[in-house]
Amino acid sequence: MNWLEFSNLGGFWWVLLALPIVAFYILKIRVRRRPVSTLLFWDKLFEEKKPRAWWQNLRHLLSLLLQLAFLILLVIALTDPLWSWQKEQQKTTILVIDNSASMSVQDAGGQARLDQAKTAARGLIRSMRQGDQMAIITAGGQPKVALGFTDHQNSLLETIDNLPLTDGPTAIQPSIETATRLANSSTGQQETIVITDGCSSDLEQYLEQEKVRLYGVGQPTDNLGITRFQIRRSPVDPIGYQALIDVTNYSKETQKTRVEFTLGEDLVDVIPLELEPGQTMSRVVDYTSRAGGQFTAELNTEDGLMADNQAVAVLPELAPIRILMISTGNVFLQSVLESVPLVQLEIKDSVPEPLGNWDVLVFDGNLPENPPPGKTIVLRPQSSSSLWELGDVLSDPIVARVNDSSPVTQHVKLDNVQFPEAKKMEPKGEVDLLVVDPLEQPLVARFVRPQGDIVVLNCGLDKGDLPLRIAFPVLMKNTIEWFQGAQRDMVPSLKVGETLSVNVSELLKRARQAKRHAAATVAAETDSAGTDLTSEDTPNAVDEMVVQSASDSQDIQLELVSPSDKAFPVSYIGDQVTVGPLQEQGVWRIRQKAETPAPDQEVGRTTDHQLMVSCNLVEPMESNLTPPIPLPALDDWPLLVLGGRSLWFYLTCLALGLITTEWWLYQRRIVG
Amino acid sequence: MELFDSNFLKRLQYLSIVSRRVFRGQLLAQRRTKQLGGGIEFADHRQYTAGDDLRYLDWNIYARFDDMLLKRFQEEEDLHVYFLLDLSPSMTQGDASKFQRKFDLARRVTAALAYIALADLDRVSVLAYADGVQQVLPMTRGRNQILSVMRFLERLEPTGTQTRLAAAAKDLVHRAQRTGLVVILSDFFDQEGFRSGIDQLRYRRFEPHVIQLYTQEEAEPNLLGDVELIEVETGDRRKLTINERKLRQYKELFRTFMDDMENYCRHYSLSYSRSTADTPFDDLVMQMMRASMMHV
Repeated sequence: MNWLEFSNLGGFWWVLLALPIVAFYILKIRVRRRPVSTLLFWDKLFEEKKPRAWWQNLRHLLSLLLQLAFLILLVIALTDPLWSWQKEQQKTTILVIDNSASMSVQDAGGQARLDQAKTAARGLIRSMRQGDQMAIITAGGQPKVALGFTDHQNSLLETIDNLPLTDGPTAIQPSIETATRLANSSTGQQETIVITDGCSSDLEQYLEQEKVRLYGVGQPTDNLGITRFQIRRSPVDPIGYQALIDVTNYSKETQKTRVEFTLGEDLVDVIPLELEPGQTMSRVVDYTSRAGGQFTAELNTEDGLMADNQAVAVLPELAPIRILMISTGNVFLQSVLESVPLVQLEIKDSVPEPLGNWDVLVFDGNLPENPPPGKTIVLRPQSSSSLWELGDVLSDPIVARVNDSSPVTQHVKLDNVQFPEAKKMEPKGEVDLLVVDPLEQPLVARFVRPQGDIVVLNCGLDKGDLPLRIAFPVLMKNTIEWFQGAQRDMVPSLKVGETLSVNVSELLKRARQAKRHAAATVAAETDSAGTDLTSEDTPNAVDEMVVQSASDSQDIQLELVSPSDKAFPVSYIGDQVTVGPLQEQGVWRIRQKAETPAPDQEVGRTTDHQLMVSCNLVEPMESNLTPPIPLPALDDWPLLVLGGRSLWFYLTCLALGLITTEWWLYQRRIVG
Repeated sequence: MELFDSNFLKRLQYLSIVSRRVFRGQLLAQRRTKQLGGGIEFADHRQYTAGDDLRYLDWNIYARFDDMLLKRFQEEEDLHVYFLLDLSPSMTQGDASKFQRKFDLARRVTAALAYIALADLDRVSVLAYADGVQQVLPMTRGRNQILSVMRFLERLEPTGTQTRLAAAAKDLVHRAQRTGLVVILSDFFDQEGFRSGIDQLRYRRFEPHVIQLYTQEEAEPNLLGDVELIEVETGDRRKLTINERKLRQYKELFRTFMDDMENYCRHYSLSYSRSTADTPFDDLVMQMMRASMMHV
């Protein structure tokens, strides 16, 4: 028999049991003679029916046949028969199960696609034979080896039972590549079996591969989904932002719905949509908000896949820029600074004691010899300082070169602009020359120092026409915004499964500040002398030094918190943290890890500041619940047609069924 | 081991004592006939009618109350006890080695009852029957006749081809000189039914006492599958396939047969007892005595 092969031919010896069965049958069919007192009652019982109908003479033969059939089935089961296709099946199997977001869709039968895949996987595991090995890889978001090669069925079944549903897109190709690498680590022939709903664009290449078998679950389902979503700052409005959204209709019919935008708890906008089958609506909408929060787009519809009906982005809050201007009066400068959005300007004629916390210090000529710490703009410096040495006044300085690569001088046009009263300036340390005259003398320069950079405009404003040029406010705005650094930067929304490197300098700075304050408070309480801090030891200055000195150490522990509040520790290099691949849709947070609080402390976290990263599905292939290419259905899987068990199991069940029937019919004398 | 061994005789004597002392002879012999006549034991009064014998007029009452009442007396006479003992081959069912056949129990009970009757000076006759009366022990009287009764019973052997109570009853009616108690010991597996035979006795003013004997195997046979049943009386054969359902139906049918018999006897106020063949004879006799007490 080419279609059936037997693994254990020795099992056929059990067929000899047929001999005693036949012997017992011969003994059984002998009629017993029994004397009775009377036949009165028996005649009454059988008076309606002839005691022996013709077919009743065959019933013992039927009993014998049932018993022999039972024996034959049992013998065949003992020989461990295999179908031809089962024989060809590889002994080492890598099972790739798609647990992407689309596998949560419930088909007409009410069973989720992932559950259908798990059922099929259990059948495959139960059909494993002695020596067979299997590994399990998940293909939702990033491929993951859920269980390495093993022949322990219970472990495999437990792994299948515990497979989670992810929010990620289908990743068939990476999963098969992982499977291939895994297969290379084992000997013998391998086969990769992929169970997926087909929501992927890279399936076709595997259809013809011998070692890869694709099986599809699920039925085509209508769906409407958000396939792209990002926000950014408005290029024209300092407090505005723009949202880009794509909504695609993957249904067979025209769909009417509306998309609702909310910022935090506030409804921002509602856009009605009417989409033809296959149509994608792409919109860019502008909104204004100084306050930040979670900006959410949600489709008001109930369709096959709910995960793509919502997308979220994080809009950072725009904090005011506090600027202290030290000047005896400069209307031009004051007007320019006040025109910069978000600026809160305060003007003093001298450096106050203590200085206080300011985002930017602006000195109009009267810079002390030792500039105070902080980011500083100096106009028309009058004397030397620790960073430079001033010389004589330059004669008719004109702009010879502008460093366009610097953000400070972007869009700054200084053609034919005079820089009167500019003095010869000899830098003492590291300097970035932004604008120079033909003699390479700095007209605009950035001096680098640990306490905060200083941008110097080597020019007397009231003598030249610079204040009248558009270049001056642009230069001021660029400088202030550059000083703000990452504040206006927005962390882009990620797709599920993507990774991102983010700058956590602000988070680390605040955590260190808080830590420093806590330490200082404790020291002050314990120090009975109560030494006052000097002006150089103001909190701002001390904090900056702490930040800088500790910037490369891991003194602050950070953690990444998932939307479902699971925390993972993260490490940072410099100010950069790489997070991901993020497998869960929603807003992830990077925050200081709570330390074990000391007995006299109430909380273990010194700052509540956190950095938020949004993560969305936004994958067109995942939202399209109609597979691009038809896959062999699980119903076509011969193993599952048989219920996912080996043939011997069914033969044994059938044999037990037969012997039970025989016992019930004959031993219980139902047949008579 | 014999049918009537010394142990049997001891238990017989015990039964006799119990019968007289405890049950005060309610079983058989000490029951008086209901015939009124010239006895000496006063029975009751009745109104005088013309033509009555004036010797029996109660003159005392006439003198005192001026009422003419005639005294009536119960005539005492010997009670005739007939035993109709089934001799058919169906009575051989049971364990012969332990004398636990129906036939053995029937003979022992007959001997016991005959002993009690003879001890009370009643007359006893035994008629063994199958398809008709086969052997007869003539009417006998006196305690010393118990041995002849036992010998008669011991000599009996099952015979005949079927059970015909009606024929035996008819024969008894013709043979009996007087009416009396008729104790029928049988399994009543009668093709013609049990009613016609007992009815004949009732109609002729005999007082039937029914003792139905059966074996446990007859009530709840252990037969399943293909069997060939051979009736011991006629030799008829039936090839049957018996299943659980048929077996349940048989038991139900047998129970109905027994209940019919009991209901029939209760309906005509006849004494009825039944027992399996392995029951000790004295237990059965005691059971009958208790039943008689209940009737009295």
